[in-house]
Amino acid sequence: MNNWRKSVKYVFIGKITLRNQLAYVADFLIRSLFLLLILYIFLQLWQATFHGEGTESIGGFSFKQIMWYLVITESMILACPSLCTRVEEEVKSGDIVFKFVRPVSFVAFHYVEYMSEAAMRFLVNAAIGGLLGLLIIGPPDFGYGLLWLPVVALCGFTVNFMLNMVLALSSFWVEETRGLEFVYNKFLFTIGGMLMPLELFPDVLQQVGRWLPFQAIVYIPAKTTVTFDAVQLPRMICTQLIWVVIIGIIVSLVYRKGVKKLNVNGG
Amino acid sequence: MLMVDSRKLTPISEFEQPGKFRRLLRFVWQCWKLNLAGAMEFRMSFFLTAGMMIINNVVWIVFWGLYFGRFPVLNGWELQDVMMLWAVAAGGFGVMATFFGNAMRISNLIATGQLDIYLTQPKPVLLHVLISRMSVSAIGDVLFALLIYVTFGDKSMIGFLKFGLALLLSTLIFLFFTVIVNCPAFWLGSSDGLSFQLYNGLLTFTTYPTSIFRGLGKIVLFTVLPAGFISYLPIGLLRQVDIPFISGAIAVTGLLCLGGMYLFYTGLRRYASGNMMGLRR
Repeated sequence: MNNWRKSVKYVFIGKITLRNQLAYVADFLIRSLFLLLILYIFLQLWQATFHGEGTESIGGFSFKQIMWYLVITESMILACPSLCTRVEEEVKSGDIVFKFVRPVSFVAFHYVEYMSEAAMRFLVNAAIGGLLGLLIIGPPDFGYGLLWLPVVALCGFTVNFMLNMVLALSSFWVEETRGLEFVYNKFLFTIGGMLMPLELFPDVLQQVGRWLPFQAIVYIPAKTTVTFDAVQLPRMICTQLIWVVIIGIIVSLVYRKGVKKLNVNGG
Repeated sequence: MLMVDSRKLTPISEFEQPGKFRRLLRFVWQCWKLNLAGAMEFRMSFFLTAGMMIINNVVWIVFWGLYFGRFPVLNGWELQDVMMLWAVAAGGFGVMATFFGNAMRISNLIATGQLDIYLTQPKPVLLHVLISRMSVSAIGDVLFALLIYVTFGDKSMIGFLKFGLALLLSTLIFLFFTVIVNCPAFWLGSSDGLSFQLYNGLLTFTTYPTSIFRGLGKIVLFTVLPAGFISYLPIGLLRQVDIPFISGAIAVTGLLCLGGMYLFYTGLRRYASGNMMGLRR
């Protein structure tokens, strides 16, 4: 009962973040123009590729599937808020002290805020990207994949949050973490399968990618949705959950060490 | 103790000074030198920022490397062409943002009345505005472009000249397109959002092979967003000299330069001063 009461406050944090986000729907729509631009360019690129190859399927993906894959990966990536910027500013300004004295866990507070914002933005991006997809690519054949998308996307966003939290917590030692975040995002774009499915990579790189946590963020959600396979699903979700646990442990270790190390200027 | 070495200071009087043009060149050179000195003040940050930009570009090179590893030819384009496309596009953007880094801020300067400082100086306003800022990360783009050229480019004399011309055209297109999209601020007030979207559109389109675009997309690339004149350079100039394309590219670049200057100085007549106080020696 007591635990339930404790968790209610996080629900309220989530609700407040969602309300804040709703105030900026017009801003989202303008930002989504970039999503449309990227999708348009990739549409042209893969159209030319399939035409040049003269095949119906590449790496097990049809043209339609690759395009819908990209709609999901791009919508997810563009939905993720920058955690490093947020934590870094809290550390630099000294505001972090106020976060510590609240009766809320620092990591859980950021998790709820991050997830509410990501969910909201993802919905807007997916709606806009989906509309472009329906008009230009044609209706997708997701099957049960669409039903599982919320689950795998939730796990994907959680893994991304965890990894970003590790980077953001480094600001307790070094203050500047945006550079690390920048390089991390580049890994996500390539070996994380944002720009193209891992199946299109050379064999060695595919193997490397499958041992790294980056695949759990956008590759697994997009692949599960676009080429749904009930047999593969448990393995995919397990991979995501294993990474949530492993990186979760790292986050708690780094946080404990970091809090002791943190020097706050001003505040 | 801070001392002023009077021998190193340029006299304000024009007596016994070189001609007007040489004075202007000296002024531009001094501005660039000071911009670099300012950037080097925070050396670690400078190297990190420039390095980050190189990493950013390398990611795209990796993407295209993987892509062409799987599909060797894309509508006549090969890996080397795309690499040269990146050298020309990143190089042109880098040179523009390094030497004329204020271009993207023009609309903001207009909207906030910050052009006043430049209007009080006896130097060409547009030139002065453009050269008074340097983007540190863009130095990374220039280095990256040179690295790609050394790795993939034609290193003969003629190849070097062709690359130089491609870089010049690309820089001028980026620069004056940016000036043009920033000028509506003279008439509309704050138009940062519009300028940024158009500028971003040009940047994004220049880094993809022209051959993937068809129909309306292709028309847009050679009209509204002149990205096609940059992205086709690896084929139309570096691989073989396609005279009609090159003449078109030079004509469009010239038109953009003149159009940009005309628009800026026409808009400047409508400029209403702000009430900001500022000093600039």
